[in-house]
Amino acid sequence: MTEFDAIVIGSGNAGLTAATALQRGGAKTLLLERHNIPGGCATSFVRGEFEFEVALHQLSGMGTEEQPFIMRQLFESLGIMDKIEVVIEHDLYRLVLPGEIDITLPADWDGLEQVLIEAFPLEAESIPKFMQLVEAVSLESFINVPQLQRNNDQEFLDTQCANYKRAALRSAEDVLQEYFTNQDLIAVLNAYWCYLGVAPRDLPFVDLAVMIYAYAKFKPAHIKGGSQAISSALLESFQQAGGQVRFNCGAEKILVRDGEVRGVEAETGEVFYGKSVISNASPIHTYHELLDMPELPEQVTHDLKSRRLGTSALVLYVGVDCPPERLGIKSASTFINRDRDVENAVAGMHTLDVPSSIMVTCYNLEDPGFAPPGKSALSILCLQYGEAWDSIENGKYAETKYQLADALIDYAEEVYPGIREHIEEIEVATPRTMMRYLNTPGGAIYGFNQNTQDGAMFRERMDSIGGLYLASAWYGMGGFQPTYMSGNTTARAVLKYIATHTSTTQTLREATENA
Amino acid sequence: MPDQKTSSDSVLTQVVGYQEAFTHQEQLARKGSDFSEQKGKVSNNINKLHPKRLHLDVVDIFEDTPSTKTLRLAAPNKTLLPPFQAGQYINVFVSVDGTNSARPYAISSSSQTREYYDLTIKRATPGFVTHHLLDEISLGDAVTTSGPMGTFYHNPIFPAKELVFLAGGSGIAPARSMIREIADRHLDYKFHLIYLSSFENDVIFDKELKQLDADCDFLKYHKVISRPGEGYQGMAGRLTENRLRELIGAVDGKMFYLCGPTPFNDACRQHLQAMTVKTRYIRIEANGPPKHPENLPSWPEQLDPAQEVTVTIQGRGSFKARVDEPLLNSMERHGYSAENACRSGECSLCRVKVVSGSVFNPAEARLRKTDAQYGWCHSCVAFPTEDIEIQI
Repeated sequence: MTEFDAIVIGSGNAGLTAATALQRGGAKTLLLERHNIPGGCATSFVRGEFEFEVALHQLSGMGTEEQPFIMRQLFESLGIMDKIEVVIEHDLYRLVLPGEIDITLPADWDGLEQVLIEAFPLEAESIPKFMQLVEAVSLESFINVPQLQRNNDQEFLDTQCANYKRAALRSAEDVLQEYFTNQDLIAVLNAYWCYLGVAPRDLPFVDLAVMIYAYAKFKPAHIKGGSQAISSALLESFQQAGGQVRFNCGAEKILVRDGEVRGVEAETGEVFYGKSVISNASPIHTYHELLDMPELPEQVTHDLKSRRLGTSALVLYVGVDCPPERLGIKSASTFINRDRDVENAVAGMHTLDVPSSIMVTCYNLEDPGFAPPGKSALSILCLQYGEAWDSIENGKYAETKYQLADALIDYAEEVYPGIREHIEEIEVATPRTMMRYLNTPGGAIYGFNQNTQDGAMFRERMDSIGGLYLASAWYGMGGFQPTYMSGNTTARAVLKYIATHTSTTQTLREATENA
Repeated sequence: MPDQKTSSDSVLTQVVGYQEAFTHQEQLARKGSDFSEQKGKVSNNINKLHPKRLHLDVVDIFEDTPSTKTLRLAAPNKTLLPPFQAGQYINVFVSVDGTNSARPYAISSSSQTREYYDLTIKRATPGFVTHHLLDEISLGDAVTTSGPMGTFYHNPIFPAKELVFLAGGSGIAPARSMIREIADRHLDYKFHLIYLSSFENDVIFDKELKQLDADCDFLKYHKVISRPGEGYQGMAGRLTENRLRELIGAVDGKMFYLCGPTPFNDACRQHLQAMTVKTRYIRIEANGPPKHPENLPSWPEQLDPAQEVTVTIQGRGSFKARVDEPLLNSMERHGYSAENACRSGECSLCRVKVVSGSVFNPAEARLRKTDAQYGWCHSCVAFPTEDIEIQI
């Protein structure tokens, strides 16, 4: 008989973090993973001499050794800081509108202001004001607003959260238009929209502000060995603390009795009993496929009805047999846009048309260890909804995929000519590939769309099933830092639940067996 | 960031944009779905393209040569099989003398034919699974396989329009699939097949290839016999650099596919490199674990290949195994298993963690950078060099 305090379904970022924090927090934890390797998105694969990073483009929240930021503390508390090596990047990104805009923003708060003023002298007065707003909204959001939620003090809102009050929940587009008239500058500043997959018109300003602030002030980072190194380190820390893991062991059912979780039945037929279950799977999968309940709680269906499925991506993993300089690559991250108006890019994400917005990442620019000597590891991607592939019959899948990949390479070559003739290894992942590996509807990579109304301040915690927790990108911002943090927050809540939950596993087991 | 729902009496409701967002949420909830229509959709989609297992029937058996048969596998209900890219393989799961194991075989039929997969199986000596498939399997038998997998296929993104395929023995299987695809889809490729077989009477698909060579402009077929009988008139001997230069001519703009026994692949690769073909123009099919790991330069000095060590499967039991036997094979012979597909070090499905002791990882093991740090290995090509304990 196997009995646990906590059973974690899925070893994506939030699942791995939750499992590690739980086990290190004293809870006997089982981690179930349907694949043979931990990480979910945070993984890598090998082709020829290349090991390709699957998903991480710029890790936020690490900070430097001199100016550490929140993720270092988190990784420290998870026991992995001594297992990983941080590589700091020097640019935010290069943004190119072929023939019209070409600018590289440094990952440096003061440097960023200078570069923007030099490129857009007519906006010289507004740029510092905008950056002050970005900083103020970010800091208020991190520090003051959580206090406000506790004190609910009118004066505190008006004085200590004034910028947040004025700008945080308006659309990023709206705030940018308020500060600037130059549409090129706006296009340059909203480039990070694609890290969230939501157009600036639908994105709360606070989300964009926090990204710009975190990346510019604390710099983007990478980990040697890629995100797989983080996943492997977390797994190791989890196991060292006594955690048990089962690979190739997907969850089939979450067992529920009397409104409380009892355990998990795995695809192998094994049943694991547990006081709590933390699902790193999508809520759609968790509620509709895993939950062993005739009817979902009203709280859940109501919440689901106001959610919209987020985007997936088409990604080319490309190994070329030349160094970055041969292709003219000087920034690790390049956004290439056809259009100033992101709305056009977003409309295209629902189709298989050639995208108007792509991103090129060169992984070995800041750390040569990411590619074999003299070669380069690139990813070329565009965001795309899974539904765009619904009409493609299986027999036409490969052909369609390569046609689109070809178009993306052509597009990337407008800025970095020579990629195609140097390709040594290439793998193309579509939304269907994401679906295969992430098990998400539409191959969603960021979970549900995160519009303003999806933020935690508009949402109840889904607590109508005792002991069931969800930790993933689905109920919060997508991406690496947010999912690690959500895993950690969830683990804290679960530890409290376990501590206050009086029934022993013994009686749980008897109740289930006698049922 | 606010981390909980705002109550209606909270001052946060005064934040500009709050009411609009709240109203938006209510509107969405009125029009939205609880996603129950998604039920089953994801697994359905995945299973159509990448099923973990296929349950197929042997619907035809062709005797190709004295050493080789082609098994034709189809779904019992005649549904279309998952699509594959010409050159890919499926892993065939078998039970031989009480041992559950598996071997990957390239699909030799056209990727445009999804009613069946042809597997062309040549007797290996010494062999284990091939004997079973050739001698024990008969028409109507059920066979369990993986879905199509593998990275050895022609990727249309590669700019070359002239493909040169160097095949040895059963390595003809993926070449035949590629040729059939080009013919079926009328693709604008030139395909030059140089096919080395040991014996004149053991040239798989010889007749068919000759016919295609005569009928199709895109195909050029050269057959080479390494151990010809007396009086053999055709090309004989090995694929030397000179012979390749002679047969291929200029190498510029050509893409090379190598599929045969490992020594064949290694030799061909060296010849091509000597002919200044860049790595990006050479694709090589993985071909199982090294047969004699003790001959590899990185093999531990003074380790006798016949030596036996103890392999402990954490929490389950232990057994003795020779140091020159791949870990996955000895595990299977003792009733343990790990998910697997390529059995050549590439796909990483058989990844296991070595908790204590060490294993020898040959170049075939395409490990991730952090695997060594924590002891993960690909059991299909890992050789225990001392007593080990593993987690599976």
